[in-house]
Amino acid sequence: MHKRISIPETASCRLRSALRILLTVCTILFASNTIASDGSVRTVYIAGSGNTGLDQHLTQLLKAQFDEHIVLLPVSDDRLPAIQDAPVIAIGPSAFTRVWQANRKIPILAMLVEKDLVQSYAERSPGQISAVLYDVPLLRQALTGKSILPQATKIALMATSSSAKLYDPLIEQLPDYGLEARLFLVDGNDDLIPTLVRALGYGDFLLAASDDLIYNPRTIKHILLTSYRRNRIVIGPSQAYVKAGSLASSYAPFPVMANLAARFINTYFSDGKLPAPSYPESYKVEVNKQVARSLNIPLPDRDEIAETVNVRLGDHGGAEHE
Amino acid sequence: MRVSTGITRASSRADYLRPLTIAVALASLAPTLTYGQSESTDFSSELLSLDGEQFEMPEVLTTTRLRQSKLRVPGTTTILTGDMLRNLGVMNLVEASRLVPGMVVGHYGSTNPVTSYHGTSQYEQRRLQVQIDGRTAYRISLSDVEWLAMPVAMENIERIEISRGPNSAAYGINAFLGSINIITRSPQDTAGAEAYAAAGSRGHLRTFTSVGTSDADKSWRLSYEKRKSNGFDSQIDGGEEIPFHDGHDVNNFNFDSIFRVDNRHSFDIRAGVLDGVNEEDREKSGKFGATTDPDIFMRDYYLQVRFDGSTSDSHFYYLQASYQKQKRRQSWTAEISAEDINALLPAGNTPFPTDQGPFIADFNEDAEEARQEFELQDTLIFNENLKLVSGLGYRKDTYVSETFFNGRGDNYQSRLFANVEYSPLRWVTFNLGGNWERTTTTRETYFSPRAATNFIFNDNHALRFVFSRAVRTPDAFEQDPDWSYLPSNVQAPFEALEGYRFVIGDLLDPTTSTYGQNLEEEWITSREISYFGQFHMDRALLSVEVRYFNDYMHDMISGVLNEEEWYIDNNVNLEQEGVELETSLEFSGTQFRVSYGYLEQDAWYIGDPSLPAREQSRAVDLLGRLSARNSGSVAWIQDWPLELTSSAAYYWTNEVRDTRFERADFRLARRVDMSDYSYVLALTIQHYLNPKPWMSPDNRIDDQNQMFVEAGVRF
Repeated sequence: MHKRISIPETASCRLRSALRILLTVCTILFASNTIASDGSVRTVYIAGSGNTGLDQHLTQLLKAQFDEHIVLLPVSDDRLPAIQDAPVIAIGPSAFTRVWQANRKIPILAMLVEKDLVQSYAERSPGQISAVLYDVPLLRQALTGKSILPQATKIALMATSSSAKLYDPLIEQLPDYGLEARLFLVDGNDDLIPTLVRALGYGDFLLAASDDLIYNPRTIKHILLTSYRRNRIVIGPSQAYVKAGSLASSYAPFPVMANLAARFINTYFSDGKLPAPSYPESYKVEVNKQVARSLNIPLPDRDEIAETVNVRLGDHGGAEHE
Repeated sequence: MRVSTGITRASSRADYLRPLTIAVALASLAPTLTYGQSESTDFSSELLSLDGEQFEMPEVLTTTRLRQSKLRVPGTTTILTGDMLRNLGVMNLVEASRLVPGMVVGHYGSTNPVTSYHGTSQYEQRRLQVQIDGRTAYRISLSDVEWLAMPVAMENIERIEISRGPNSAAYGINAFLGSINIITRSPQDTAGAEAYAAAGSRGHLRTFTSVGTSDADKSWRLSYEKRKSNGFDSQIDGGEEIPFHDGHDVNNFNFDSIFRVDNRHSFDIRAGVLDGVNEEDREKSGKFGATTDPDIFMRDYYLQVRFDGSTSDSHFYYLQASYQKQKRRQSWTAEISAEDINALLPAGNTPFPTDQGPFIADFNEDAEEARQEFELQDTLIFNENLKLVSGLGYRKDTYVSETFFNGRGDNYQSRLFANVEYSPLRWVTFNLGGNWERTTTTRETYFSPRAATNFIFNDNHALRFVFSRAVRTPDAFEQDPDWSYLPSNVQAPFEALEGYRFVIGDLLDPTTSTYGQNLEEEWITSREISYFGQFHMDRALLSVEVRYFNDYMHDMISGVLNEEEWYIDNNVNLEQEGVELETSLEFSGTQFRVSYGYLEQDAWYIGDPSLPAREQSRAVDLLGRLSARNSGSVAWIQDWPLELTSSAAYYWTNEVRDTRFERADFRLARRVDMSDYSYVLALTIQHYLNPKPWMSPDNRIDDQNQMFVEAGVRF
């Protein structure tokens, strides 16, 4: 006759937790020992976005940027608190938040995050928090529109009262490029289309920024169709929106972002500090040729648009203007 | 208001292509979101759901009902955008026609607007198909268009498409010389609140208010427009200037809405009420010695429902039903001498005393018209090279008038239509279309065909060869009049005539009268050679469209039709030939536009040879009453700093009834966009270069400079 020993649920959980911590500590000790014994191999942890394909793709690109002395290790959330000294590359805003919540002492390099998210963290913890910024500088987007519509002089912008301040620098910069912009405030969901109607009456094109309250999957179709009915094009905010029907958007290619990330990590290993968050140095332009044809807009070659933008930016102080 | 400067290279071609191809673009590109960098966005999966959506149902396109670029369309079409009309300070709907090559605008009677393409107008124009959002808008009884009572506010106009040339192949009877389709703005584009007011010379007053919302599932707009004018300043009577009672005061309510059932199905529901008065001057328009002004009180209603659907990205259909009713109340008091009344009475009647004052009584020309329309249209896009639109329609026209019809009558019309566009090669497109219909007006069946070949060069130029035939059947009043006047409130000593029926047929000269005789249909055979081209310059787009036409019209109905004379008949043949030009040059902040029409008209009498020569000649002349040999316009819209927009336009028509129309309009507007509201202020000056009254000596304007101010705000 067998006697069954039953372990209470809570005791079982505790046991599993203890084993997991032990395993984590062993792993970290092993890794640290590797660095200690070898002296030339360093570990960089990758906190993924949860999108396996994306995480693998970006990890591959990063690996290609590092030599054999730097190893990239994926790290799960529960192992984050135990990390010491090694930098973590966080892919996407949620990964960045998770890492920061789990361990506030380690250096974090965020990728695929927007300036608006990381700027305040980086200012509070300079050298520890950095980012390869994913959002495209608004000035670059504005000039992308100008490259497609050279005759354009007026840009319509829509913002909520909380996001309006994001556009202040752009509005100040634009006159140097023969452009002017006006901000149209959206007070609420019901106000979106009425405001858009007025904005389209003003602008030669609508510049869409990464402002989820205004441009999101629920609103974008309505915004695009209303704009095209009024014979106005939409520029930005990202490559994905171009595929959905926005006419064009600049974007930083992943290899360029990976290259900048690798340079930041190398800087950390050499100086002990991460550089300040920064935009990639080169951009490409995504265009929606089908929309251009429909609107009867002669569309220059993508590289030509990107080059025109670079030249215009270069003529007025270059990327620092961004 | 400012000119569209956003896409200066965009053209009317874009208007044709945009909704469909954008829909395709948005739909077909969405699946690619999973590739590349877009994976990083949090919304990619939701955007994926856009795949295959029918974003915007295809709308009727005036020429063939098929969305076509100007390169492939079988005919010449003028597109007037609402923005352009507003920027040019066009004050009312009929005035927009001055921008169309070959169209002439005038007034008859007590300032009733009329516009015609290629003349052939007696007083009213009866040979155009006019639609508002696909709903027939010309009147039943006389097939004319009552422009004062059109239920469309200028602010609600998206664009007006004027298909120049016979278009019965697409729209059937009455699209004889062309068709006009007034397309109102989608409620999706007008969400918010708007208020506008304009005031100016000769009592011009127009106010417009609109409110609406729009979201992914539904959009609606409720608008109210008031339009008011005193008409012309004075008229001439016996060589003297006397006041002219010829204004109007119209209130117009419109409701427009779109409800999406799902990604492929939606409902449009529109309704409207129009109420107002069209002032008629007793000296000018009064009958039987009118002592009061025979003002026309108008009350119209309409309800329109349209169901749009698609089964795929290449198969669309719609079913549309509409009902509209027009009520006209027109009465006046008349004073007729007892001698004249006695003369009107049948022999044997005891004459009334002639020493107790005149016969005083009220007369009326009250009328009601109602129209029910059903239309089913199906569009199949087999591939880029082969497209087919087809459908069927049914219409019931009802007219009720004690005066004109001695009761009520109905006309029924049923029809089938189709047009196929076939482009076997990149440089050539064939269009073949036709309309088969049966109408109870003549109890006959008609077929109106159209065939066209377009040769396309460099994707920017097209040379078109178009052949078409069109038909117009007599309207209800021409064909089935039963015209009489029944006096009421008859004063002593004529009380016995209360309700007596004065039959017009008995009063007409029997030697010339054709009253009650059956009329046949009119036919037009039209040949067109036209060119459309776009020239893309560094920073500008030049569009040129030239149309040569040769129209042969036979069995045209002409003659006089009033209570003293009635000799209308299929009695005139016409040959018309001419050239028209429409060109525009657009670049950043600037738009130039020129239109010109040249018309040669040759008409000859083919009717009853026993009709006296004077009447024969008059029948011929009447069809040339609104035919101008030269007419045109030049317009310039310019954006300036400080949010200013100016426009200048020059219109001329030379010449109609020995008069020449020349007017220059200047408008300066400032539109200011604040973060949460926008407003516009504008001043318009219309300068009449020619002080001589246009078309009629009664159309008098005291001041050659007419001033108008406008103010509008949008939230």
